[in-house]
Amino acid sequence: MIAHRRARILRTVVLMVVASTLLLIWVLPLIWAFVVSLKSEREVLAYPPTVIFSPTTSNYADALFGDFSIVDSLLTSAIVSTATTVLTIVLAVPAAYAFARLRLPAKRSLGFYTMATQMVPPVGLVIPYFLILNRFGWLDTYHGMITVYLTFSLPFAIWLLVSYMEDVPWEMEEAAFLDKASRLQTLWHVVIPQVRGGIAVTVIFIFLNAWNEFLFAVQLGGNTVRPVTVAMYNFISVEQTLWAKLSAAALVAMLPVVIIGIAAQKQIVKGLSVGAVKGGGRR
Amino acid sequence: MSSSGGKAGGIHAGERRFALALTVPGLLVLLLTTTFPLLYLIWSSFQTINLAMPFMDGFAGVDNYIQMWGDSRFWHSLKLTAIYTTSSVTLQILIGLGLALLVMQIPAGQWIFRIVAILPIVLAPVVVGLFWRTLMLSPNFGLVDYLIQLLGFEQVNWLGAPTPALISVIVIHTWQWTPFAFLVLLASLASLPPDVYEAARIDRASAFQRFWHITLPLLRPAIVIVVIIRSMISLAAFAAIFAATGGGPGTATEILNLYAFKTSFVELNFGYGSALAVSLLVITMVISGVLFYLRTARHKATAA
Repeated sequence: MIAHRRARILRTVVLMVVASTLLLIWVLPLIWAFVVSLKSEREVLAYPPTVIFSPTTSNYADALFGDFSIVDSLLTSAIVSTATTVLTIVLAVPAAYAFARLRLPAKRSLGFYTMATQMVPPVGLVIPYFLILNRFGWLDTYHGMITVYLTFSLPFAIWLLVSYMEDVPWEMEEAAFLDKASRLQTLWHVVIPQVRGGIAVTVIFIFLNAWNEFLFAVQLGGNTVRPVTVAMYNFISVEQTLWAKLSAAALVAMLPVVIIGIAAQKQIVKGLSVGAVKGGGRR
Repeated sequence: MSSSGGKAGGIHAGERRFALALTVPGLLVLLLTTTFPLLYLIWSSFQTINLAMPFMDGFAGVDNYIQMWGDSRFWHSLKLTAIYTTSSVTLQILIGLGLALLVMQIPAGQWIFRIVAILPIVLAPVVVGLFWRTLMLSPNFGLVDYLIQLLGFEQVNWLGAPTPALISVIVIHTWQWTPFAFLVLLASLASLPPDVYEAARIDRASAFQRFWHITLPLLRPAIVIVVIIRSMISLAAFAAIFAATGGGPGTATEILNLYAFKTSFVELNFGYGSALAVSLLVITMVISGVLFYLRTARHKATAA
């Protein structure tokens, strides 16, 4: 009996060690980025890499207020991501309701069409968009960038919302209908409050994807519209070796999504699996 | 039903009008923002559009496609896309599943794994690519290089030599997205009914038998979905490779995405770049079609 118990304890310990090692692999790059962000640029180039050093916050000061300020880019990312999210939700919620609940002509084909648009590789869009936006003079403009961002946010949002709308009990709509509420009133006062959680998950996903988007931003943006992802990339192409400043700036740039990620961890996992069932999720 | 007339038909007609009113704005936007550019892409793939030599522009017929057929760089990029996608998706599933099974056994502290796993997922791929390129894989100053030498191995120029560079971009992608597979599979593992395991334990099934005959079949739908999503995203991958290697050294990590991008925006040959992008589009459509077909076929088979 004691041998059995000892074997079980041993097994648990081994499991914990293996799991912790794997855990370390996943956090190491991030921890290291944080360590480097506290170093001076001289310290970064020391070999072997130092773990003990006098930390400095000057890289963060530079990333925010100094020569390498990314504040403008943070603002740009916030504007583009927020506008994309709001527009997408306004368009997707009604459409998702119709797909989930109403008699809609050619529903199957339209649903298939929406799903197919989600599969389009972004490279297939950035090429024609460059030519089209160039013709309209929409390159490096906010309205141009937000238009392009709708291509990945809208189909994804519709499908994610459909899966949440399908879970709303029919009885609630019937009750509203018997109360002679109009269809629009039913949607607004009965259905939308029921799927508030689903809308929140959708908002989180759209915002994350828009904030992290790079391909469209780097080619269709420019000096006016330069989201943080592009600012990060420019860091490395202009200044090859400023790793400490890059790390600090990147961690600041990723702070919003990391906070959202940790705070909404449960909802994101649920969204991944729900979206999974409907074939959603892309980057 | 709908044409049965009377009051019911009226209600249904009203419902249809309402449903259309709700969907038309969204679908119209999709049509304008997605379908129109795609048609434009197909059109431009039959044109000569070279911003470096605008005087040559004009209708090219299938010239771009003929050029593509004989273009060894295209076939090379296609091969890389296949290697990149299959190996990274396989690794994600294997490691993700292994990790999920492992974490399920841990009595306490599962939440730490969930929190850590969410981090790579929410990071921008371009930032992940940059972190790995500089802090992790850079010769002499990178952490990986240091650790490898600490363990007594030879120094490797990870991003500077063709094969290590390809391995590196696959590892980077796998690092970022294995947590996705892990979290989804962990969630479905947690939702499996415990009574089947009890029955198996009473039957004295070994741990491996339990996994192979019970867990794996029950997890199959979730695994299939993860494979579909991850394949699609792997086929669309761009930012992390672009940031880490830019497709190099040479064309060692130039998957089809990067080739189409560079042809258009570096060589300014938009006609040929469009043709390359169209081929990517066709490949994505075929693969997603096959994967979805396999999934529904499997569904029907289990339902019957």
